[in-house]
Amino acid sequence: MSGCDSEVKYPLNAESYRLLFKIGSGASAVVYKALCLPLGSAVVAIKAIDLERSRANLDDVWREAKAMTLLSHSNVLRAHCSFTVGSHLWVVMPFMGAGSLHSILTHGFADGLPEPCIALVLKDTLRALCYLHEQGRIHRDIKAGNILVDADGSVKLADFGVSASIYESETSSMHAPSAPVLSSSSYFSDLAGTPYWMAPEVIHSHVGYGIKADIWSFGITALELAHGRPPLSHLPPSKSMVMRITSRVRLEDAEMISRRRKKFSKAFRDMVSSCLCQEPARRPSAEKLLRHPFFKGCRSNNDYLVRNVLVAVPGIEERCNKDTNNLCGCAGRGARCVSSCCHTNVAKNRRISGWNFNEDNFELDPTDDGNDEQRCRFPFVKNDLVERTSNNSTGGECEGSQTRRRERIIGVKEVVIPQLMTILESLEMQLGMVMHVLECGGFHVNDSGCGRAPAREEREEMLLCYVRQLEQRVEELTTQVDKEIARNGRLEAQLQARVNVKNINPSQTSGSIS
Amino acid sequence: MAELSRNIRELKSILYGNGEQEPVTEACVQLTQEFFRENTLRLLIICLPKLNLETRKDATQVVANLQRQQVSSRIVASEYLESNKDLLDILISGYENMDIALHYGAMLRECIRHQSIARYVLESEHMKKFFDYIQLPNFDIASDASATFKELLTRHKATVAEFLSKNYDWFFQEFNSRLLSSTNYITKRQAIKILMVMCFSFQLLGDMLLDRSNSAVMMRYVSSKDNLMILMNLLRDSSKNIQIEAFHVFKLFAANKNKPPEVVNILVTNRSKLLRFFAGFKIDKEDEQFEADKEQVIKEISGL
Repeated sequence: MSGCDSEVKYPLNAESYRLLFKIGSGASAVVYKALCLPLGSAVVAIKAIDLERSRANLDDVWREAKAMTLLSHSNVLRAHCSFTVGSHLWVVMPFMGAGSLHSILTHGFADGLPEPCIALVLKDTLRALCYLHEQGRIHRDIKAGNILVDADGSVKLADFGVSASIYESETSSMHAPSAPVLSSSSYFSDLAGTPYWMAPEVIHSHVGYGIKADIWSFGITALELAHGRPPLSHLPPSKSMVMRITSRVRLEDAEMISRRRKKFSKAFRDMVSSCLCQEPARRPSAEKLLRHPFFKGCRSNNDYLVRNVLVAVPGIEERCNKDTNNLCGCAGRGARCVSSCCHTNVAKNRRISGWNFNEDNFELDPTDDGNDEQRCRFPFVKNDLVERTSNNSTGGECEGSQTRRRERIIGVKEVVIPQLMTILESLEMQLGMVMHVLECGGFHVNDSGCGRAPAREEREEMLLCYVRQLEQRVEELTTQVDKEIARNGRLEAQLQARVNVKNINPSQTSGSIS
Repeated sequence: MAELSRNIRELKSILYGNGEQEPVTEACVQLTQEFFRENTLRLLIICLPKLNLETRKDATQVVANLQRQQVSSRIVASEYLESNKDLLDILISGYENMDIALHYGAMLRECIRHQSIARYVLESEHMKKFFDYIQLPNFDIASDASATFKELLTRHKATVAEFLSKNYDWFFQEFNSRLLSSTNYITKRQAIKILMVMCFSFQLLGDMLLDRSNSAVMMRYVSSKDNLMILMNLLRDSSKNIQIEAFHVFKLFAANKNKPPEVVNILVTNRSKLLRFFAGFKIDKEDEQFEADKEQVIKEISGL
């Protein structure tokens, strides 16, 4: 909008766009591929945010939408425009033909990308982060799912904007009109009112931590790209996770991965571990990271990405069809369909810089209770299997029903295989645990020479680093909570003081509610 | 042009410091003095459309910062703007130009931190234009205008009270008919929010100053049958958010100790419906204050 004046103006009404199909969905938003009819049917992506369902208040939505309009960098996804359609906000954005890196991983690189490609996309991501941080913005949700690739191999960081995901921790001032209204109005105008324009020193004290949190997430994203999933992603995001992390289950698991899979360069490992430094202050800035040796030899050539990555994954349309077995056909009906028909796995992912440690499982298993997970998965799978075998054994009545059955078997296969994979994964994890216990007990089951020990130690240290990191984060969050509680206390005291004054002079205030 | 951009960035780093260095007070004071002596603010505002995006953002930050700079405990910016009020006209008209609206809007909100400037805008013809700006199709710009409007109507409470007592009729006429009765979701939602914050700020004003003249506008507002009817319609809006914010205004009608007969009449006529409505009126998360307010309203209405 407020960029160069020569820019193409996108129309501000729903009638000018034709929604083609859904390419992503979250708790309160759906993203569509769409055509902009007046602009020669130019392809765009439209994010339809349900303002009724979104837990964010309007001011926050506005601030983020504004940021998305005012940011201008070749590696940052910028909004063309935004307007409301009923109770939905439509944000019109460039369509990124190859989808997110998360989707690319899922549909062709389950074990991770080759290192030169990682360097390429991470370098572009870092450029975007540099720009954002220089502008005093923090992204708060760096992950493969938010790094988008276009069909020509260009890379853009997305979703620092209107994504509902980042508002979860905001106090919802709209529900409580008493104290929050006051505090929110003064808060917004004095401080965060225009965070976009906030002074660097304010930024540094207020979001200095956030900038380094972005770097941490960046490190995790690097691992996600390397292994096809973020570390610890096989654990449920419950409290027990912390227990399991501290008991270093993951060490064994990582060990297995590294044994089975590829080796990474020292530069890569060094870059990642600097991002995952326990002390936020000691993590490098985005600018410094860009100068890291890992990115030195990196060819800035998007073609490379096209030839080596994009050719290996199906087009986004195909991916979406595969993903949405329960396709609701909502694309045609516009933004009204956001309600219950969409996948909710993205919704589980809305914590600040929140790594969904269990994303893979969420897609397969609707329960998010870590304890129930094992119990309910098995019978579910068993039933499917029974169904499948019975179908096979009673086969041979008439042609038509056989075709039908075959179709059904294929459908069943699609359900069963991922679940079997999950079981395999959880068995591997249990194996890891058992091995760990055995090793702790002095049984060197795996004692195939001490040559591997240094590498193991290094990994162990790296993983310990995450654990400390997480602990640190919990601590930081606890402090924040404490501060909030103190602030609440003060506000309540103020309120009480006012009430007291009122009680002294009840006749003066008869017009107001008591 | 590149040099201009560099210079503006230079100004910014003097005012805000850079990554390593804190701003130096003396330098800021000197800059502030020269900036306003040389009419640089006017130049910056007028030339903003010619700048590139990054420089526009820098310029906006510079202007925002200068509004708060003090020179021997005087706010120079306020004095400058008082004798250059036409600049505010320019800033407000920025809402009509999509390319600069957000920059001018941000500057404008900084300028109306000065009470005398807010009063100028409140009393100008521009106030009427905000009813259009809030309904612009572009979400960013409409929201920006709405934020400025809200700021104008809540920041300097005594000034707002004075404005409203002089302009009550047309203002609420416009507010009710064009915003609250709009068929557009976002317009209604923005408007009810502004109204809620206004009501709250007046209520508070009445409490703090113990001066009823300031809450006279409020009393007048909650004594009006027409206002009540609009609020009651909003209570049954299809949007839960609008319902809830409407409730926070509606409760003031019910709590009014001197309800005029026509207000009582409406409440009594609709008593059973209202009570049935409130019985089922819940918000998603637990909120003691909301429940208490609801109880109070139910008691008031049942006791009529």
